[in-house]
Amino acid sequence: MKIVDRPWFYRSLATAWLLAVPGVVGANADLEKQIADPKNHAMQAGDMYNQRYSKLTQINAKNVGKMHVAWMFSTGVLRGHEGSPLVVNGMMYVHTPFPNKVFAIDVETQKIKWRYEPKQDAAVIPQMCCDTVYRGLAYAENKIFLQQADSTLVALDAGTGKVVWSVKNGDPKVGAVNTNAPHVFKDKVITGISGGEWGVRGFLAAYDINTGKQVWKAFSTGPDQEMLIDPDKTMTWTDGALKPVGKDSSLKTWQGDQWKNGGGTTWGWYSYDKALNLLYYGTGNPSTWNPAQRPGDNKWSMTIFARDVDTGVAKWAYQMTPFDEWDFDGVNEMILADINVKGKPTKALVHFDRNGFGYTLDRTNGALLVAEKYDPAVNWATNVDMKTGRPQVVAQYSTAKNGPDKNTKGVCPAALGSKDEQPAAFNPKNNRFYVPTNHVCMDYEPFKVDYVAGQPYVGATLSMFPAPGGKHMGNLVAWDAGSGKIVQSKPEKFSVWSGVLVTAGGIACYGTLEGYLKCVDANDINKELFKFKTPSGIIGDVFTYEHKGKQYIGVFSGIGGWAGIGMAAGLEKDTDGLGAVGGYKELRDYTELGGSLTVFALPQ
Amino acid sequence: MRHTGDFLVVSLSTVETCGATGTLNVMFQRYFTRSITMSGLSRRQAVRFLFCSLLIGAGSAVAQDKASAAPTDKPLYTVFDGYKVDSKTMDGFRAWRAAACDRCHGANQEGLVGPPLLESMKTLSKDEFVKTVRDGRLEKGMVSFSTSKAVMDNMDNLYAYLKGRSNGDIKRAKVEELKQ
Repeated sequence: MKIVDRPWFYRSLATAWLLAVPGVVGANADLEKQIADPKNHAMQAGDMYNQRYSKLTQINAKNVGKMHVAWMFSTGVLRGHEGSPLVVNGMMYVHTPFPNKVFAIDVETQKIKWRYEPKQDAAVIPQMCCDTVYRGLAYAENKIFLQQADSTLVALDAGTGKVVWSVKNGDPKVGAVNTNAPHVFKDKVITGISGGEWGVRGFLAAYDINTGKQVWKAFSTGPDQEMLIDPDKTMTWTDGALKPVGKDSSLKTWQGDQWKNGGGTTWGWYSYDKALNLLYYGTGNPSTWNPAQRPGDNKWSMTIFARDVDTGVAKWAYQMTPFDEWDFDGVNEMILADINVKGKPTKALVHFDRNGFGYTLDRTNGALLVAEKYDPAVNWATNVDMKTGRPQVVAQYSTAKNGPDKNTKGVCPAALGSKDEQPAAFNPKNNRFYVPTNHVCMDYEPFKVDYVAGQPYVGATLSMFPAPGGKHMGNLVAWDAGSGKIVQSKPEKFSVWSGVLVTAGGIACYGTLEGYLKCVDANDINKELFKFKTPSGIIGDVFTYEHKGKQYIGVFSGIGGWAGIGMAAGLEKDTDGLGAVGGYKELRDYTELGGSLTVFALPQ
Repeated sequence: MRHTGDFLVVSLSTVETCGATGTLNVMFQRYFTRSITMSGLSRRQAVRFLFCSLLIGAGSAVAQDKASAAPTDKPLYTVFDGYKVDSKTMDGFRAWRAAACDRCHGANQEGLVGPPLLESMKTLSKDEFVKTVRDGRLEKGMVSFSTSKAVMDNMDNLYAYLKGRSNGDIKRAKVEELKQ
């Protein structure tokens, strides 16, 4: 290493180390303890591996059909309710979309112990176009971490709801807002940023859980030092092997200063492997949606990153969709699982990308192992070249090749992806992944757009419709990540936009846009064992907990998010352009806005 | 010919008899006169239009509409075949796209998280429209476009485009410019 070339690198390492030391001892012991107890739901995915698997067995494949409603709670907020409450030591912490209220509810009495409602400028609402979703809270060491829409990150005392510290993470005036759940790994709370449709330059940031002080910040685009990339040590899959990314790996792939408004935002679900001390997350679309304005691979948008949790320095990066032409954000959750991949025991990272490919990588080093379509409708690429790691784009569906002001028709999947943020689950009992998916295609017409700070910066018009050959717009897919094969596929009328829960009781549960909570047999997902209509469409994630010997399963309902919007874009292909398509009306036959929590249990 | 609030539309749906193909709609704001500025129309199309207008006596009928209003000789928009529009209306469509209005209001103005403009533009006054676009409706999620040059420079054109859509004269969201 040539120290003179990169003094920043050592400085950042040294700074990170100094800041990290005070919290290291005992850090996270509390959270680890809470996660280890299956009675709790102490993280959004239940654990740091993003598995969404519960060891609870009281509610199981034999008796789930008898499940009934135990209690309900209205959040008093309209709009899309994503994520799920947390449950820690008999207290439930419920969040809402903007204005991002927090309720601490005693699960014994269902009484509200405290509530917190931040004061936020209403100007942030339109900056979140088109819905004011928020994916949930984080817990650690008697603190609740709230990531407000206006980008303020707050630590609340879990016992009283009093603010412990508060820090500003972005500038909402330029569209840098937040929708993601913060994640606590070790002694840090990790958060990202939204605003890929406002020309925001994406980053991930780590804050000290005790003080709120920023420990590191890693941009998705730009100079190496601002991305915390070491040109010699950060590796990427190149020509069938892992090689250093080299100097200016991002700058070389952008024209001019476009990277400054280049997107690569980070609003998904992050995961952490304690043994490797690495955290994993994905970056979003490059800005704008008009590819003609940003020739090049646009690194490191659309990328899976593995970073050292203490320093933020990237261990490896893998770009799934170089030079995006379809808005296939790479932010979806990274699920860590130790599985056999092509017969070999592997510390795997499994990721179901918006682009329709299910990826399996070696999470220790970033080697690409499997990349296969998890929806047969995917047509924009024939396959992923396993040597280069690059998708083989079909010219007919290349919106860049067809050019601005030309409508590229019939691209599958649509921009909302074969799957969006709705997280999949992993069942270690049968090594299957349960993937909530969209079965939707689109027409995409890019056009030139100028950047104005704080104004939308999109640059494409698109219309969405069901994939050819069917009327349904979603599937629950059971997936084998070791071979990259669909095991089973269960059709749903609308997109499955709800995080799946799988349990040791042999059930997998998910919500539907009509508002049904459904539980299926984990070994045969076509066997529907339970179905109940909640008050509104479900885009939240199913969770479970135990209290006084009784297991509960809960889910938010409250239609909205891009799911609601996506459906609105049309169930029927808008060929004649007459507008007022029937799709929205059809979803409206089933549901209306309104946030609530429904909690289920077995009868006495 | 029909009245729609403050507006009056001349529809020539039987233009075959006038030697043209397709249909031509011109909307005049508040008042109609014979001295039409045929911006965006080719000379040949303009001649056809005038001929047909005279043929069916459109002018005399519409002159009764809102007689108290200040006369104007500029059409709000001109549309041919339901999607070929004058250059100003075309600029309105470009502003619509640049500002990503479709993200909330739908690619066809049918409404998504935002209201369907196909409907709400029927009742929204011009002043309300300008105020809403300029200042936003923040609580409802409507962006303030006051800093967007693309929108502010094209407020009238955007209004014309959206009125054309809600009136049903512009029959598809994506329009094309009438060639001179």
